[in-house]
Amino acid sequence: MKAKQTNALATLLLWLAALAIVGILAWFLIFILGRGLPVLGPQFFTGPNGVGGQFFNSFYILFLSLVFSLPVGVGAGIYLAEYAPKNRLTDVMRLSTESLATVPSIVLGLFGMIIFVNVFKLGFTILGGAATLALLNLPVLVRVTEESLRNVPASYREASLALGATMWQTLRKVILPTALPGLVTGTTLVAGRALGETAILIFTAGMSVSRHLFDLRLTAPGETLAVHLYAVQANPLPGTHAGRVANGTAALLVLVALAFNLLLALPSRWLQHRLSGKRG
Amino acid sequence: MTTRQQFDIALEELRQRIVELGESVNSQIGLAVQALKEQDLALAQTVITGDSRINDLQAEIEGKCMFLIATQQPFARDLRKIVSGFKISISLERMGDLAVDVAKTANRIGQTPLIKPLIDIPRMSNTVQKMIEIGLEAYGQEDEKMAREMSQMDDGVDHLYRQIFRELLLIMMEDPKTITQATYLTLVARFFERMGDYCTNIAEEVVYLVSGRRIDLNQ
Amino acid sequence: MSAYKGDGVILMEDKIVVKNLDLYYGDNQALKDVSIVMPEKSITAFIGPSGCGKSTFLRTLNRMHDLLPNVKILGRVLIDGQEIYSPDMDVVQLRKRVGMVFQRPNPFPKSVFENVAYGPRIHGEVRKHRLNETVEQSLRGAALWDEVKDRLHKSALGLSGGQQQRLCIARLLAVEPEVLLMDEPTSALDPISTMKIEELVTVLKQKYTIGIVTHNMHQASRISDHTAFFLNGELIEADDTGVLFTRPADKRTEDYISGRFG
Repeated sequence: MKAKQTNALATLLLWLAALAIVGILAWFLIFILGRGLPVLGPQFFTGPNGVGGQFFNSFYILFLSLVFSLPVGVGAGIYLAEYAPKNRLTDVMRLSTESLATVPSIVLGLFGMIIFVNVFKLGFTILGGAATLALLNLPVLVRVTEESLRNVPASYREASLALGATMWQTLRKVILPTALPGLVTGTTLVAGRALGETAILIFTAGMSVSRHLFDLRLTAPGETLAVHLYAVQANPLPGTHAGRVANGTAALLVLVALAFNLLLALPSRWLQHRLSGKRG
Repeated sequence: MTTRQQFDIALEELRQRIVELGESVNSQIGLAVQALKEQDLALAQTVITGDSRINDLQAEIEGKCMFLIATQQPFARDLRKIVSGFKISISLERMGDLAVDVAKTANRIGQTPLIKPLIDIPRMSNTVQKMIEIGLEAYGQEDEKMAREMSQMDDGVDHLYRQIFRELLLIMMEDPKTITQATYLTLVARFFERMGDYCTNIAEEVVYLVSGRRIDLNQ
Repeated sequence: MSAYKGDGVILMEDKIVVKNLDLYYGDNQALKDVSIVMPEKSITAFIGPSGCGKSTFLRTLNRMHDLLPNVKILGRVLIDGQEIYSPDMDVVQLRKRVGMVFQRPNPFPKSVFENVAYGPRIHGEVRKHRLNETVEQSLRGAALWDEVKDRLHKSALGLSGGQQQRLCIARLLAVEPEVLLMDEPTSALDPISTMKIEELVTVLKQKYTIGIVTHNMHQASRISDHTAFFLNGELIEADDTGVLFTRPADKRTEDYISGRFG
């Protein structure tokens, strides 16, 4: 076959593959939202069997897990990218991070349950859920931080140091601001994943919610939306319209995920423009 | 071919052009002396018209030098080779002009019988021709020693000049009727003495080419 | 000739004196017994083939090698008579005095103003009017003010390559250095931008001692007062630029500047 025809064929195939992705997503959205949107309304949150508590817990646990994991994950990532010498110790650190990333989340969930439920006898709590979820976030955050920092051109470092800046000044004023868009994007991915996580939370935060809406106590039970979806489908209680609740929850989860990505993607772009001083 | 090789070829072409110029000047000098000695006015005319060829050749060499400096932006020995080649071509062209002056003087003397047989003037021209030959050889081989030795030959030329001058002075004192021709012949001797100086300039250029140093060999 | 080899008496006008400098990358010796002086308020050019050690040498003068592991440096480097490799040398202060411009323009992804204000800020200047003054002076010093005065708060990355490089020079001038080191500052620039940088450099030498590494021998011959030729980590020859380019003493220098190296 002639090169030109091969090229045309390859272009077509790749275009079809890309189209397939869009098609699948569209189909998925229409399916989920079509069945779930009609159910959504104020009643869905605050009415009997409303998911307001779960909705709140999802974000509360996510927020807490990031509070636990961001300082450590970003800190370790910065260390590995900027300070770590190449030696056995840092190799071990990297290997540990990689290993932690490959642990199946259900195993982490069991680990969290042993620690928080069995050893500390806390029961299923928001704290236990958030802390265990932090373990899931950690390795990715380390990775993302290290990558973003490594993507900052070495010439910026050289320029700053050659002006008599210290390593810390260089990090704070040049490297981190430049890496920030990457960090934000990475954190968005981590958060998105954590938002949909079930296996860990079933074992640590449990499958029930506080009777009070917006219960900020760390020891409150912390069922999230994703877990709720699992719970109502796995054990449909009679008279609770489990199917309708599941459909609504699924649609809500999808909307939340979309909104989340948009919300974090926009500031990331804005940050990039601001930092590079370009008019957006 | 690398640009360096092309440059080397261009430098070699430049050298050949300069040698060609030197040979033309040499033959002009030979013909001018012959015209003077044999009172051959047609030959003298040939020398006078032949000078345009030398001027053209010198202009061509100058153009080549300019071109090489502009395009190669040479450094060190390359630069010196072009600069010294350029200056040698100027010296040669001046010697060509002096050969024309000799031929014009032959014209002025015309068919009047010579006041004495010409012996020392041909000697001077021979030495000058030899010096040009050696100078071009030294330029081509970048041989400083050869150039210095050549410049020593100028002492012989100067010596002959003084000898001719005294001799012609005596003749003039003995017989004032000879004054016109004797003055012309003194001028011719003076022309060759100048040529000898130009040859030492050529030697100085070769020394500069090899060592990068400017010296005065004309003392 | 030997005046530039640094083996004589140290003169007042010798801003930088380097004596018997060796540099190793691991087991690989990149600089061999380099001795040279750089006179004050003049331009010294460093030429030589790729990998000859000229950039490596330049970077020893503001201790940029400190950032790399496995680099060993022996010998002495004195700036204003002060040993820069002595243990009590403050590297941050040294780099403030001995600034560096790199091969590729590397402005920060910040505004023009913030780029120039960066140095004074990290060295503790917070007064807004002082910063404004310094930024304007530095940009004027780098012959860039007229081109950027209306876009001080727009991104530096929107400038042309040549403007970016002059911005990097302005950024350097803002910390009031004494020595400017330039590592092939025009190798990524077009001829017009190159010409502007060359003009700028020759103006800057009235106030600063300048060391410039260049691949471009003609650039070295145009702008420098002294030229040093490096080969395989050795300083082969250093002399007045006029002398080095018309009658170098060493055959290897001659071969290099005549383009006879393969």
